[in-house]
Amino acid sequence: MLSAMINKEFLLVLRDKKALALLFVMPAVFILIISVAMRDVFTGSSVRFDICVNDLDNSTISKKLASNISKNKSFSSVSSDKAQIIITIPKNYVKKSKKLNIEIKDTLKSDEIELFKAKLLKNIVNLKLKIIKNRLMEFSDEAGMAIDSVSLDSKNLFNIKYNKNDDIPNSTQQSVPSWIVFGMFFMITPIATVFINERKQNTLSRLSSMNVSAYAMILSKIVPYLVIAQIQAWIMVGVGMYIVPLFDTPALAINGSVTALIFLSFCLSLSAVGLAMLIAVNANTTEQASTIGGILSILLGAIGGVMVPKFIMPHSMQILANISPMSWGLDGFLDIFLKGGGIAMVLNESLMLLLFGAITLGISMIILKHKQGFE
Amino acid sequence: MIEIANVVKKYGDLIALNHLSFEISSGIIFGLLGVNGAGKSTLLSVLNGLSPIDSGDIKVFGLDIKKDIKKIRQISSIIPQNLAFYDKLSVQENLDFFGKIQNAKKENYNKAIEINGLNDVLNQRASTLSGGQKRRLNIAIGLLNDPKIIYFDEPTVGIDTKSRNEILESIKNYKDFGITVVYTSHYLNEIESICDEVAILSHGKLVTQEHIAQAGNLEEQFLELTGGEDA
Repeated sequence: MLSAMINKEFLLVLRDKKALALLFVMPAVFILIISVAMRDVFTGSSVRFDICVNDLDNSTISKKLASNISKNKSFSSVSSDKAQIIITIPKNYVKKSKKLNIEIKDTLKSDEIELFKAKLLKNIVNLKLKIIKNRLMEFSDEAGMAIDSVSLDSKNLFNIKYNKNDDIPNSTQQSVPSWIVFGMFFMITPIATVFINERKQNTLSRLSSMNVSAYAMILSKIVPYLVIAQIQAWIMVGVGMYIVPLFDTPALAINGSVTALIFLSFCLSLSAVGLAMLIAVNANTTEQASTIGGILSILLGAIGGVMVPKFIMPHSMQILANISPMSWGLDGFLDIFLKGGGIAMVLNESLMLLLFGAITLGISMIILKHKQGFE
Repeated sequence: MIEIANVVKKYGDLIALNHLSFEISSGIIFGLLGVNGAGKSTLLSVLNGLSPIDSGDIKVFGLDIKKDIKKIRQISSIIPQNLAFYDKLSVQENLDFFGKIQNAKKENYNKAIEINGLNDVLNQRASTLSGGQKRRLNIAIGLLNDPKIIYFDEPTVGIDTKSRNEILESIKNYKDFGITVVYTSHYLNEIESICDEVAILSHGKLVTQEHIAQAGNLEEQFLELTGGEDA
C-alpha cells in the first residue's frame, strides 16, 4: 500500500511543472543572482572611485601628480561625464601652492569620502616629499637622502596581524545554504496544494474509506519530498560549485563532510515537510495555504538569516534568529561549508530540525485523524 | 443486510440524523431521496465509518460499525459525489493506485474497466476525459475491492443524458453480481427507473420506506411528504 502511495505522490509532483520550477529553478536563480550581486560586499574587495583629473596648471609637477593619481589602484580614470569625482588641479597650483578643487558628483557615503581623501592625500604628500627632496638635494645630498627615510607606505609604518575570521562567509558560501534552506521550505506550496485538492475532491475520504491510515498518509508525503529535497540540495550545491564561478564569483567549496551534508539536509527537509503538512491539514483552500506558507517562509527566512546574513545583524536579532528552523539549517550548512564540519558539529542543529519535524508531523497526524476520520 | 437502529449524528447543534431506524435488504438497489440537508450524504458517511455516530447501532452484513469498521470497509465501497481521483494521473495509473492500496485482484481491475467502458481511455490523463468518462472512472475505482455493498452519492450530477443512462444501466447490472446498492439522487426518475426500494429522508428522519412497485407516483408522494420542498 505504502509503495503505491509514495509512487503516486512522486508522479503528482513530477507532473506539476510549476512545482518543479518553484523547487529547482527559483532557488538556483536566486543563488546565482545573490552570489554575483553580493560578491564585493562579502569579500570586502577594495572600493574603486571613478575619477577625472583636470590639469589646468600643466606644470611638470602637476602632470606628475595627475599621473600618480591615475596609477592609483583605488581610482579609475574616466571621462568627466561618467566620473563620481572630478579633481581639478588649478592654474599656478605649484607656484602659488593653491589647493586642489574636488567635486563629488555621485552620492558617496561619508566613510567612502574619507577613504577617497586618505588615498588622495597619500598621493599628494608623496609628491610633495619628492619636491622637498629635490630642493634639499640642491643644497646637500645628505639632507635630501634623509627624506627617503620618510615613507607613507603602511608596510613600513606598522605591522598588521590578520586573524582570519572563519565565521564570515563569502557571497557564495552565504547564498548557497541560504537558498537551499529557503528552497526546501518552498515545498509547502506543492505539498499543501496536492493535499488540499485531495481533501476538496473527497479523495482523502475515499482513501480513508479504503482503510488507509493517517500514518501511511503522512509517510507517503514524507518519503518523496525527502528525496526531492536531497536532489534539490545537491543541484544548488552544484550551482554554487560550477555555475557561480562562471560569473567571476568565488566557487562553493565543501570543506566539511558530505555525510554531514546529507544528514543535515535530510533533517532540514523533514522539518520543511512537517511545516508543510501542518499548514496543509489546517488550511481550507490552496490559496490560503500558499498565502500562509509564503508569509511564514519569508518571515522564518528573514528572521533566520536567509535574507540578511546573521553576522551583520545586531546581537538581539542574532538571538531572535535562533527561533527559526531556517537558522538552524543555515548554521549547519555554514559549519560544513566554512568550518569543515562533520556530523558531530551539525548534530545540535540537526536534532533541533528533527524535533521540529517530528512535532509538526505529529500534530498534523492528530489533526488528520480527527478531521478526516483516518485510523 | 444493513440494519440502522435509532442512529443519531450531530454536527454541533445541528442534528443531521435524528433517531433514524430502517433496514436495507441484501442484493437490492435501494434509493435514498431527500432535499439538500435531509441527511442522505451524512448517512452514507456514517455507513462507511467516515463519520462516527453519536448514538444508536448500525450493522452491515452482521458486522458492528463501531467494532468492525475495517472489515465493513473491505466489503463496501463509496462512490463520492465529487470526482475523487487524481487528474494528473492516467486512467490506468488511477486504477493501479486505488487497486494496490486495497490489494485488488486482477479480475476486479478487468471487471471495473469493462463494466464502465474505460478500455479505450486507459492511457489518457484523467483530466482530459469527458464528464461522463470521469464519472465512470469514479465508479470503476469503487468496484476494485469487489464490494458487497456500494454507496452511490448522486453519481450522475453534471453529466449528459447519454452518459447518465449508461451509468444507470450499468448500476442495474450490479444486482446480477449480488451487490447491494444504496443510491442517493436528486432525480426522482432515476430512483424510479433503477431502484427496488426507496426511503425518503427529511431533517434527518425517515419519512417513508416503500417498494418502488407499491410507491405509485413518487414525485407526488415526495412533494407531499417533504412539505413541497424541491428535490
